[in-house]
Amino acid sequence: MTVTGSTIPAVSRGAGSFAFFRAVLRNHPSFALGYAIVLLVVLLATFAPWVAPFPPEFADADVFLQPPGWPHLLGTDATGMDVLSRMIWAPRIDLSIAVLGTLLSALVGSVLGALVGYYQSVRGLARLAAGFVMRAADVLQAFPVFVFAIALVAVFGQSLQSIVLAIAFVNAPIYLRLMRNQAMSIRTMRYVEAAWLAGLPDARIIVRHVVPNAMAPVLAQLSVNIGWSILLTASLSFIGAGVKAPTPEWGSMIAMGYQNIITGQWWSSIFPGLALAVTVFGFALVGSSIEVLSDPARRRRLSGRLTAARGAA
Amino acid sequence: MTLLPYVGRRLLFVLPQLVGILFVSFLMVKLIPGDPAVLMLGPFATPDSLAKLRAELGLDHSIFVQFLIYLGKAARGDLGFSWQTTMPVTTDLAQRFPATLELVTLGLLLALAIGIPLGVAGARYRRGPLRAAADYYGLLAGALPDFWLALVLIYVFYTLLAWAPAPLGRIDLSILPPEPVTGSLLIDSLLAGNWETFQNAAAHLVLPVLTLGLINAGPILKMTQATTERMLDSDFSRYAELCGLPHGIIVRQAFRNALPSVVTIVSVLYGFLIGGAVLVEIVFSWGGAGQYAVQGVLNADLNPVLGFVLYSAVLSLVIYLLVDLVYFAIDPRTR
Repeated sequence: MTVTGSTIPAVSRGAGSFAFFRAVLRNHPSFALGYAIVLLVVLLATFAPWVAPFPPEFADADVFLQPPGWPHLLGTDATGMDVLSRMIWAPRIDLSIAVLGTLLSALVGSVLGALVGYYQSVRGLARLAAGFVMRAADVLQAFPVFVFAIALVAVFGQSLQSIVLAIAFVNAPIYLRLMRNQAMSIRTMRYVEAAWLAGLPDARIIVRHVVPNAMAPVLAQLSVNIGWSILLTASLSFIGAGVKAPTPEWGSMIAMGYQNIITGQWWSSIFPGLALAVTVFGFALVGSSIEVLSDPARRRRLSGRLTAARGAA
Repeated sequence: MTLLPYVGRRLLFVLPQLVGILFVSFLMVKLIPGDPAVLMLGPFATPDSLAKLRAELGLDHSIFVQFLIYLGKAARGDLGFSWQTTMPVTTDLAQRFPATLELVTLGLLLALAIGIPLGVAGARYRRGPLRAAADYYGLLAGALPDFWLALVLIYVFYTLLAWAPAPLGRIDLSILPPEPVTGSLLIDSLLAGNWETFQNAAAHLVLPVLTLGLINAGPILKMTQATTERMLDSDFSRYAELCGLPHGIIVRQAFRNALPSVVTIVSVLYGFLIGGAVLVEIVFSWGGAGQYAVQGVLNADLNPVLGFVLYSAVLSLVIYLLVDLVYFAIDPRTR
């Protein structure tokens, strides 16, 4: 171990530090692009009331379906609402739903997964319960995802909370499986056995030793999943089972403009879809950067390459 | 492992699984607020006629009894009526399921045609523009909403260029659809020897198939690239390289070994798209099975939803079985 330790270049010693992060971004411009997109969207959503040129739900019937130009930079939709302003307001809804839904599913899924993974190798009632949870997850995942999500929204009633719940429901099995696999392998580690022998209660072992060591893949999954949840939110709104117009939301904006595309007024649908795609793309890039950074082997290779590059320069 | 006992064991699990899935969907659709009797008879129905209809529909029994009644009928091939179309669900689905299958199958074939060559090339040339293009394509395809891409394609190829037919269904209204045999318009029109109908149906398929193909090539590409790369890094490829085999052969061998995971991702996508293609179906007014189910959910129409869930569950089971058979064919270790 000491041999590999000495070959780890100086950069990686402060591996969690800002300098390392900046070096990675310089070497991987696509990661930097991802963080820039996510940051931009979050900033726009936060400061929407000050950035957007028009109120998002203000319909000026005199200027409906205006092509992009002045003063409506990206045109207006069929009811005369400013497309750009609504696009800037939309991530407030889309991001909040996606982030809340994903966090909720990650929380519930990981806690259940850690418990199931930890207790699956024990005999008795705990094992039975663990098996039951896994079979239930099987049945949930056997459903067509989209129809399932719509049905959930229909059951809970069409509101923001039910969309969040539906997204959490659909995503939870992913985290359940991820965490369970991690917990099962961590459970056999020496340090867990040592903690158990030292007389720590199970709950304490799970919280202090199992969960922190199993978090890396969950974190990488989170970012990708937020992007995916934004897509799902927009899809639900597109078919009319999600956010209702005139609340500014990308999916329902695309749905509102979709009749006009055939007659040539493309802007009220195409621009929101573009914003949606760029945002999801940004979250996917951030996800792949986390995947690289949280994998020790790839991280070491990366920092090795970085010092090599610096030495050459 | 021999094939027949394996298939038999698999089929043993199918029935309880199906009943479980059906029961959960039954409960869920029942929980959706909205009384079908009121929806069917309208707001001015008398309490008497409502009660009579409820009794006819079996709504006055407990939910478990209702489910058992449904199961009993389903076992005899009766999936009930949809009150929206006033047709038996089996008739409706016989029309709509093939429409979705045709679309999804062709879309996935296109996705394979894009994803596999790009993925293998990306695994072979790890630096350079081709690999960068493949990586970005994978990320982008995962980020694009399919219904939006469909709209862009419609705008470009229908509104601007007028190359594609109007996005209003599977075939022009003025053309008589062929006698249904398989349910696929392409195959049926060929069977009927009607070249004009075939061309029309094919023209309507182009844009939706292109949408599904472009989007779903992403995951296929990523999976192909990652597994082929891993196979190229493994010992047998290194050995082949040391023996001086030409690079083309080594890559071909590596890809052959990567095939099982490609088959897996295709089967997962297939199962997902049966319901997941609904957005594209809506944009093109396709009249497919997913659209039917979504309408059912939005209008508290129980039977179409259950019928759809049943059909797609059976279909995914069939697909997974087929996939296992394909594994037997391509992976000598399973024999």
